[in-house]
Amino acid sequence: MQVRDYLIRRLLLLPFIMLGVSIVVFTLTRFTGSPIGIYATPNMTPAELAVLEARYLLDQPIPVQYAAWLGGLLQGDLGWSGVSVAPVTAIIGSKITATLELAIAAGLIAILGGIALGTIAGVRRNKAPDHAARLFSILGASTPTFWFGLLLLVPFYLWLDWFPLGRSTAIIFDSIAHPTGLYTLDAVLAGSPTALLDAIRHLILPAVVLAFGAMAIIVRMMRSSMVEAMSEEYVDAARSKGLAESIVIKRHARRNALVPTTTVIGLSFGFLLQGSVAVELIFRWPGLGQWVTSAILAGDQATIMSYVLVTAVIFMSVNLAVDIAYAYLDRRVVLG
Amino acid sequence: MTTLNRSQETSKRASVARESALSVKWARRREVAQEVFRNPLTVLGLIIIGLFFLMALAAPLLTEANTPDPYQSPRDWSNISVPPGEAGHVLGTDATGGDVLYGIIWGSRLSLQLSLTVVGFTLVFGTIVGSIAAMRGGRLDNLLMRVVDVFLSIPELIFALAIAAVLGPSFRNIILALAAVFWVKYARIVRGEIIRIKQAEYVAAAKVTGDSTWNIYRKDVLPNAVSPLVVQATLDMGNVVLIGATLSFIGLAQAGLTEWGAMVSAGQSGLLAGEWWLSTFAGLAIVLWALAFNLVGDGLRDVLDPKTEGR
Repeated sequence: MQVRDYLIRRLLLLPFIMLGVSIVVFTLTRFTGSPIGIYATPNMTPAELAVLEARYLLDQPIPVQYAAWLGGLLQGDLGWSGVSVAPVTAIIGSKITATLELAIAAGLIAILGGIALGTIAGVRRNKAPDHAARLFSILGASTPTFWFGLLLLVPFYLWLDWFPLGRSTAIIFDSIAHPTGLYTLDAVLAGSPTALLDAIRHLILPAVVLAFGAMAIIVRMMRSSMVEAMSEEYVDAARSKGLAESIVIKRHARRNALVPTTTVIGLSFGFLLQGSVAVELIFRWPGLGQWVTSAILAGDQATIMSYVLVTAVIFMSVNLAVDIAYAYLDRRVVLG
Repeated sequence: MTTLNRSQETSKRASVARESALSVKWARRREVAQEVFRNPLTVLGLIIIGLFFLMALAAPLLTEANTPDPYQSPRDWSNISVPPGEAGHVLGTDATGGDVLYGIIWGSRLSLQLSLTVVGFTLVFGTIVGSIAAMRGGRLDNLLMRVVDVFLSIPELIFALAIAAVLGPSFRNIILALAAVFWVKYARIVRGEIIRIKQAEYVAAAKVTGDSTWNIYRKDVLPNAVSPLVVQATLDMGNVVLIGATLSFIGLAQAGLTEWGAMVSAGQSGLLAGEWWLSTFAGLAIVLWALAFNLVGDGLRDVLDPKTEGR
């Protein structure tokens, strides 16, 4: 009951937090004064400027401007993207799917790898695998993603030429339809092994680089909850029943250790979103991150702010999903 | 008269209790210090931090400061992209003849400036906000925590990136952006701790003696909330440099700055042409810095918060 109430409360708060985020973002756009510079040209007369200001409501009080901006936002008007020379909404879809594909791939690597490594480390506490896992997690927390990316780029791209830059080879990419926007999934749906291979070759290196930091968090959490679980009485009880050690670990200890680990998965998704900015820049991945870096260099505010809004929505949705998963897992543990 | 005596008696007893608590506190501090130093990894972290601090402080003695701006490497135009060890450049030069070692040394000053400013400010500001929320409670608490929720719903780096982008590219703006973002965590930690501590018996006892809320907060509540703050602040000393370096890597610091992230960025094209040294050494400096604070932060957490030992 309590869990359900908590989740309902979270859901009800969500629109208010979103409103808060929109206020923060709007404040940022007005931080350095009127954004009239985006529309104005140097040789405009004051009269022409005034017309322009009136057109975009910039002569109105700030709350009115905010209301107009929010109204546009709710109707899907995110403004004009200078770097893409198109409305933000026309561009953002393909950018989101590119980033999501990268983040999902990295997330899968981080979650599966993190759980596996953390389990081994927790079971073999203070042995070599444990030390390796601890080293891994502290290096993951200390290594800047952009630097790690460059380090891997040199052998795997420059010397061996295994993994190309970008998201796809244009000819192969254009040869299939893209109903989902996730290239790997589209390739599977189109039944094209060539396209799938092309998608994976492009995806693997940036995904591994992006996964590193997030995986470090998961390994750490999984290890410590595994250590805790292994010392619990139910593990002894399972052993005394004569169950094989691998079953004790998998069915009893690991299942329980997964519950606290779910909580950091939401957190580590934040790391994936943050990391994608640098990773996309280095690997020429045409997603939100690369888009926002070019917008920053061009001073394109509409793009930057749309990016912040979209990221916040993705991040909050993932965290909510994780909370629901946690509530479900936790209840099962209590009941079972 | 008797009531007055009794209340005097109580407050006297309370002050005696506080004094003995104080001596216990010092003994505990010694114990904590001893335990911290027993962990070889923590000691390693402390040594690395010590060396970085020394390097930052002694930068003008180690290398002659460039004029007019010491945070721009002096250019040796006759030795462009020289590999390490050649032409008097221990770690080589960049594509504009800037000495890499000079950049690393003066970059440590920028990292120190960034981390001390951001962590110092956010620690104090976050503590104030969290304390007000927890001590006052009610509507104000609710309002402040919703603000915290809004801040937490945007990933740190992305929020800082947007602020720094709006303010314009400069290292000072990176510092401002990080300061605007990082206080939230401290507010949350402090609030949680205080709410927990307020339920403790010794706080109830202090209330009975008629101590003012401010005194209770100052003497009984805040000192007991310090441990998780110390751990978080130590970890953040590394974190903010990592995120700051990412922002300047993206291009939010001024060009040619001896900031490690900007140096990695400047070395990118060289890296692909076989000139590995600039990006590699600058990146190593960031890793070492962050690693050292992570080691010490983890060590402190193991000692101060044994519940999460080894996490």
